Amino acid sequence: MPLFKVENLTYYYPGTEKPALKNISLEIREGEFLLVTGGSGSGKSTLARVLAGLIPDFYGGRIGGKVFFRGRELRVLDRRKLAREVGMVFQDPEKQIVQSCVEAEIAFGLENLGLPPDEMSRRVAEVVSFMNLSPVQDAFTADLSGGQKQKLALASVLAMQPRVLILDEPTSQLDPVSAEEILNVVKRLNEEMGFTVIMVEQRLERCFHLADRVLLMAGGEIICHGSAAEGAREAVRRGLPFVPPVARFFACLNSPVVPVTVKEGRELLQSYLKGNIPVTKPDVPRTNHNSTAKEHEKNSIISLKNVWFGYPGGREVLKDISLDIKEGEFVAILGENGAGKSTLLKIMVGLLRPGRGRVYVHGREPGRNGFKEIRKFTAYLSQNPNDYLFQETVEDELLFTMHNFGLKDRGQVDEILHRLQLERYRQRNPRDLSSGERQRVALASILVTDPGLIILDEPTRGIDLGLKSELGQFLREEAAKGKTVVVVTHDVEFAAEFAGRVVMMFAGRIVAAGEKHAVLGRSVFYSPQISKLCRGICDGVLTFAEAQEQLGPLLVAKPAVLITNTGEKAIWGLTGGCTPH
Amino acid sequence: MFDRLFYREKGLFLQSFHPATVLVYLLVLLILSLIYDHPLYLLALFLLLALLIREVDGLDAWEGFLKAGVFLMLVVMMVNPLVIRAGKTIIWHGPAVPFLGKLDISMEAVYFGAASSLRLLVIISIFCLYNLMINPDRVLNLFSGVAGKSVLVITLATRLFPTMVRDLQRIREVQQLRGVDFDTGSLWQRAKKYSGLYNVLLLSSLEGAMEIAESMQARAFGSGKRSVYSRNMIRPRDLFCLGGSLLALLAAVWGLRYGYGRYTFYPEADFLIKDGATLVVLFIVLFYLSVPLLLSEGWKHCRFLKSKI
Repeated sequence: MPLFKVENLTYYYPGTEKPALKNISLEIREGEFLLVTGGSGSGKSTLARVLAGLIPDFYGGRIGGKVFFRGRELRVLDRRKLAREVGMVFQDPEKQIVQSCVEAEIAFGLENLGLPPDEMSRRVAEVVSFMNLSPVQDAFTADLSGGQKQKLALASVLAMQPRVLILDEPTSQLDPVSAEEILNVVKRLNEEMGFTVIMVEQRLERCFHLADRVLLMAGGEIICHGSAAEGAREAVRRGLPFVPPVARFFACLNSPVVPVTVKEGRELLQSYLKGNIPVTKPDVPRTNHNSTAKEHEKNSIISLKNVWFGYPGGREVLKDISLDIKEGEFVAILGENGAGKSTLLKIMVGLLRPGRGRVYVHGREPGRNGFKEIRKFTAYLSQNPNDYLFQETVEDELLFTMHNFGLKDRGQVDEILHRLQLERYRQRNPRDLSSGERQRVALASILVTDPGLIILDEPTRGIDLGLKSELGQFLREEAAKGKTVVVVTHDVEFAAEFAGRVVMMFAGRIVAAGEKHAVLGRSVFYSPQISKLCRGICDGVLTFAEAQEQLGPLLVAKPAVLITNTGEKAIWGLTGGCTPH
Repeated sequence: MFDRLFYREKGLFLQSFHPATVLVYLLVLLILSLIYDHPLYLLALFLLLALLIREVDGLDAWEGFLKAGVFLMLVVMMVNPLVIRAGKTIIWHGPAVPFLGKLDISMEAVYFGAASSLRLLVIISIFCLYNLMINPDRVLNLFSGVAGKSVLVITLATRLFPTMVRDLQRIREVQQLRGVDFDTGSLWQRAKKYSGLYNVLLLSSLEGAMEIAESMQARAFGSGKRSVYSRNMIRPRDLFCLGGSLLALLAAVWGLRYGYGRYTFYPEADFLIKDGATLVVLFIVLFYLSVPLLLSEGWKHCRFLKSKI
């Protein structure tokens, strides 16, 4: 008997005429690791909520079809009993913590189940040590980092000892290190403790290989479900971006074997290319960047000279930062949490003044209230797009910024709405839009003044791969038009694909800065998956397009005999290609 | 900026008491500060509180509390001599003022103002010590059994307050960069600008509230009767401290029956130390109240005591 059985499930959120889920039929086995992926609005989170019993109980709306859990219809199950069996962890760690103290938070669910004190103490102790939360056991939840908060949310659910763990994009708000930690725990829970895991996720390069089965959703329907390799092939066939780069690379080449990890990919590539490995670094075309001489001629937009900064009573956050960013550059700033990236951005926009050193933006040296001098030419997007949205309509949101700067050209509103594909939402309340659309509205509200400098703090956090690609493309176009783009991001894939220059920070210092191939190509840990695939085989490759360009001709040249995932022999000859996302 | 005013877990001895013990101890201090008139007794309480606050590493926070207190203290000290006419020892003959009459300032009125201010500082210091010594979560936990839902609402508010302060700062920065100048314009214009700021905060908080509620429902909140998870433990130190508090209260009440701790300001101020018993009673009360302080010192310096309490 399957653990979950879903039959012809259709669901409408209250007040909507478009179904969020359409005719879903699905079975989930006990102990399975199911990865659910798809774009924004594809219905993946809704499906997770149905399986957790939150839809329709919490949300209301209209529902058709049936969902069975261990042979019994989910809707007739007692809520307390269901909570003992199915646990759910949500996307935003900030929005699921109730108590102010770590230990009390872990016990919250247990108190709700009405467990006796001895049982609660035992379970809390077990979970604290399994999740390695002892160092913060007595801490205030408000003082924890994002990663620790998500670990706490997971611990709080695990203490209830559910049979099934449902995770709705649990790593989307976290930095790579914290994300890795959460995924490792989930992997252990599935492999060593037999938990059934249903994970909705977009960071596929880290979890695709963990899944026994991948469910690809679009428009409220399941468009493919099968093994990771089958999922990758189907996504590529449909032109969808929801595949990790290594799998996409091979699926695009119609490989009979679709590897899902870098290790498998490298083995496959080496077995095919044996004796034919390009030993030297290929002459990878370095996009459209001008020559070094021309770069020097360009105006410097941001210039930081020996900048130091420390918060009052705190440690030094920035140490001797010197950086020059020129007109038309697209710069990505990478680094771990606490490296000083966001502080650096605040110094650039004049929200903070350096303790020592000089800062020039557009040739001006921001003094006290520095942002007043430079804000007309500078667009700054913070990590949370919701901070920008409070007007009745999307159009009003843009007019608010224009009004503040005394601008009256309404044509600019039309143009920016058109460029960011927001025209149809013009009269909608921005708070009614999806997270990706909200981010575009926030971006529009700061770009409406036509600034020369665009600064974004973690713009790819929590948005799907398709939207990420659109955002990158948009920013690249802006840079091509002569605007300067500075992006702080944890997303190495995004930086490798779209930025021209990369700055790497560590503990308040710049440890590497330069053309992206020079910085990321030499890094082992801060390099995109494609670069890891090609390291030692074809050095210097960073993006999917470069890999296709460099390795494609070699792979097309001769077919190879390969052992497939199922152990069968297959003749691999390339028959086609596809476009990068 | 408000961080230092709130409780921080520092692993200190004085933070390890059962919350009920701390509540009883602070309540006794509060009662004594209200029933004592004697400036010497109030001063002794103030000094004891200073030592306790130092012991919980809270002198910085105390400074913040005292800044507000000193202002009130100055007001009391200035107003009291101007309006009280009961003193006998006139130190300054002032002019006649409508409604108030002749502004004669007496030594006793100044003296009374100073003693009242001292009482105010003692009370403020008690609240400061409460903030430094006791985890609010644990206090609320004490009452979870009898008022579970109210306690949960207070806990949620406590948990969300620092987040909202941070959010507000971030939203303000975002609006400043969108061209809003919060420090310019008429009062009405400024109020309008700030209303926009709070509007964003309110909308985001409401959305956040839905997500928190969903997470609570997923963890079976409201599915039936709740139990209470308590992390509070009773140790010998709690018994010593409770005993000390109760004995201090008994000694104080006994002393007050015989006039020790009372003080006459008007028409002529009493002697500060009337007789030796004044000091003896004060010493006894202070000794019992010093139990947590003595235990803390013992815990630090005496391995035997440390293992026993």
